[in-house]
Amino acid sequence: MSALILWLRDPNPQSRGQARLGQAYLNWLRLRRNPLAVIGLAIAVALVFIAIFAPLLAPHDPITQELSRRLLPPGTPGNILGTDDFGRDILSRILYGSRITLYIVLLVILTAPVVGLLIGTVAGYFGGWTDTILMRITDIFLAFPKLILALALVAVLGPGMENAVLAIALTSWPPYARVARAETLTVRNADYIAAVKLQGAGAVRVIWGHVMPMCLPSVIIRVTLDMAGVILIAAGLGFLGLGVQPPLPEWGLMISAGRKFLFEQWWVATMPGLAIFIVSLGFNLLGDGLRDVLDPKSASK
Amino acid sequence: MLIEIENLSVTFHAQGRVVRAVQDVSLSVNARESFGLVGESGSGKSTILRAICGLAPISGGSIRINGKPIATPRGKAFSRQVQMVFQDPYASLHPRHTIDRTLSEPLAIHGLPGTDQRISQALTDVGLPTAFRFRYPHQLSGGQRQRVAIARALMLEPEILLLDEPTSALDASVQAETLNLLSRLRAERGLTFLMVSHDLAVIDHMCDRVLVMQHGRAVEELTREALASAQMKTDYARALFAASADRMLQG
Amino acid sequence: MSQLSVKNLRVTFDTEAGRVEAVRGVSFDLGRERLGIVGESGSGKTMTGRAVLRLIRPPGKIEADQMMFDGVDLMKASEREMRALRGPRIAMVMQDPKYSLNPVMKVGSQLMEGLRQRDRVSKAEAHAAAIAALTAVQIRDPERVMEAYPHELSGGMGQRVMIAMMLIPNPDLLIADEPTSALDVTVQAEVLSILDNLVKTRGMGLIFISHDLRLVARFCDRVLVMYKGKVVEELAARDLMQAKHPYTQGLLNCLPRIGGDRGPLPSLDRDAAWAV
Repeated sequence: MSALILWLRDPNPQSRGQARLGQAYLNWLRLRRNPLAVIGLAIAVALVFIAIFAPLLAPHDPITQELSRRLLPPGTPGNILGTDDFGRDILSRILYGSRITLYIVLLVILTAPVVGLLIGTVAGYFGGWTDTILMRITDIFLAFPKLILALALVAVLGPGMENAVLAIALTSWPPYARVARAETLTVRNADYIAAVKLQGAGAVRVIWGHVMPMCLPSVIIRVTLDMAGVILIAAGLGFLGLGVQPPLPEWGLMISAGRKFLFEQWWVATMPGLAIFIVSLGFNLLGDGLRDVLDPKSASK
Repeated sequence: MLIEIENLSVTFHAQGRVVRAVQDVSLSVNARESFGLVGESGSGKSTILRAICGLAPISGGSIRINGKPIATPRGKAFSRQVQMVFQDPYASLHPRHTIDRTLSEPLAIHGLPGTDQRISQALTDVGLPTAFRFRYPHQLSGGQRQRVAIARALMLEPEILLLDEPTSALDASVQAETLNLLSRLRAERGLTFLMVSHDLAVIDHMCDRVLVMQHGRAVEELTREALASAQMKTDYARALFAASADRMLQG
Repeated sequence: MSQLSVKNLRVTFDTEAGRVEAVRGVSFDLGRERLGIVGESGSGKTMTGRAVLRLIRPPGKIEADQMMFDGVDLMKASEREMRALRGPRIAMVMQDPKYSLNPVMKVGSQLMEGLRQRDRVSKAEAHAAAIAALTAVQIRDPERVMEAYPHELSGGMGQRVMIAMMLIPNPDLLIADEPTSALDVTVQAEVLSILDNLVKTRGMGLIFISHDLRLVARFCDRVLVMYKGKVVEELAARDLMQAKHPYTQGLLNCLPRIGGDRGPLPSLDRDAAWAV
């Protein structure tokens, strides 16, 4: 362990990989100073862990119905968090539901920020007409309320998880484009960009290799903070019956199903609500912590 | 004549205002000569260097290198001929790239082989230990960063080095080391310098001829001998010289 | 009698990369005189100046055996007492006026703000005091400058406004951190003569922090030479050319001179023993 730390802290790394890991280690030390960020990170890691090992952790099958055991309260032996109106174990459904949440989160992370980063850096770097056209398109997308636009898209494309992800991704890239463009504008006149242009680098190389790494931290922070919103929209679409379809254990869908019994059997809707709350909170805490660590303005000093 | 600049004008248009940063400046630099541009802030001396590199808009006049007008956009052939060292070593190195990445970038752009060996050689040439290769800029001091910036400018083996206040952000002792390094590299490689500074002592130490600039215009061209013996013809050049009195040989 | 007395001042930072000791046991006394603190970047000269005003942000920590200003123990003073001290009693001028002036406020309002709010002076009196301060720093048309925004001023003008602003409450001690390094040589001379004049006529103490040994020698009465957080040499400014310490000598020798020979400049060989 101490040999590894020495290797990470080596002031003279032997390769690019070691240099990068060394920086990551320093960032981790910085993140560790913020207890709330560590809690956020722990929640995010727990989500991944639970999603992977859901079949081992869940006491029951999330879909099989057992009508004799319907609407049991929390604390019942065998059903710690109670059961829903079809007698399914709520804990198991929440654990399996983490897979769907994570799947949606991952798909959105892999699409929206990438598109936003690309559009923002290109617009900011070239300026002029390119900038005007790209940013007006961005403005149009920004002008719609997210959930309404997502609803319209799902209404056109039909309900289902993939379409829900597509709708969320299409509505959430514009803020990343704005962030990336703002960052690009501050970077594009920097001496190090002038230096690489002077060495004959083309626009693609400058944007990809030199501008994007400077925009990435702000985008990552923004993505982390937005994750809570993505989860909420996914749950909202599920709640409205436009996202994931029954009997899949999606958290929003579970709340929707529990709505009917909210006053007598409160746990059916509350337990998945708590799950959404905890995960959203975790991503928010993590995002705040990452801002302190990754912000290029504070990190460069 | 290696560099010939004739009646160069640079005009910026910013928010409806027209700023004439450089007006009708002409100068020529011989091969292997070291030419200085001196003046106070806003005199347009750095803008001339940026105009040569295509980083500032030329509104009039011409720039020729080796008798040929320079192409717009500058292109790869230009970058193997002319390179620049910037003033602030804290701003001229990419903060998220290792020294290795910074130095290998020009080789990658021009498809040159032997990256490992060239980088080690470049670091040795500017007096940095090869162990620094995978450090980030923030792990280096200001002087070390400026050495990396000089190494980067020399990766493509250019003939002409444009130096924009290369030592004004450095401590006195580091300035001495950097100036010595530049002089040595110029002698070894037969480089031509076009150097900008506000410090007459630095210009006197480094340059054969110097052009004094004020408000975007050329005021007076002086040889080194004329500068040292205070033989200026214009009032402004004399005022500049007088303000630098504490930089004279007899302190 | 000494106005400011500092004994064994230490400034330390605990960072991820380990403990950094920026100032390591600096002691000095200051009367109504011009004290220069010279050193290269990282020598702790700026931190020393800021520590006197307790302007070190966490994780930085200030420790000292003694830090007295005119009978006030700066180490024990509450944050409230420190605020009453900063400005009216001890003023500070920074290197770059761009970062010290509020960009969206007219110069005049910034100059009058302190008088109006702290001293409850009438608007006309505050205006007169601001004009007087601008005149004192040799600004020719103070009325126009009062109506200008900071970005409309040149570097030299901005720095004069900064000095004027610091002088309005008539402080007993002025700490100037590289007040002229961002300025052109011809402007530099003017700003220095303004400072000099003010120190002489008002009897202020001055701590002048700079990297420029020759400038400090010309301008100050006494010089502290700092190296890696320690004072390696303290001498009268007129004796600077006869400096004993090899670091001070090295700093003087490594500068290029007009009319000098063009051989390699003498380099400064740092001795590890200097930092001990």
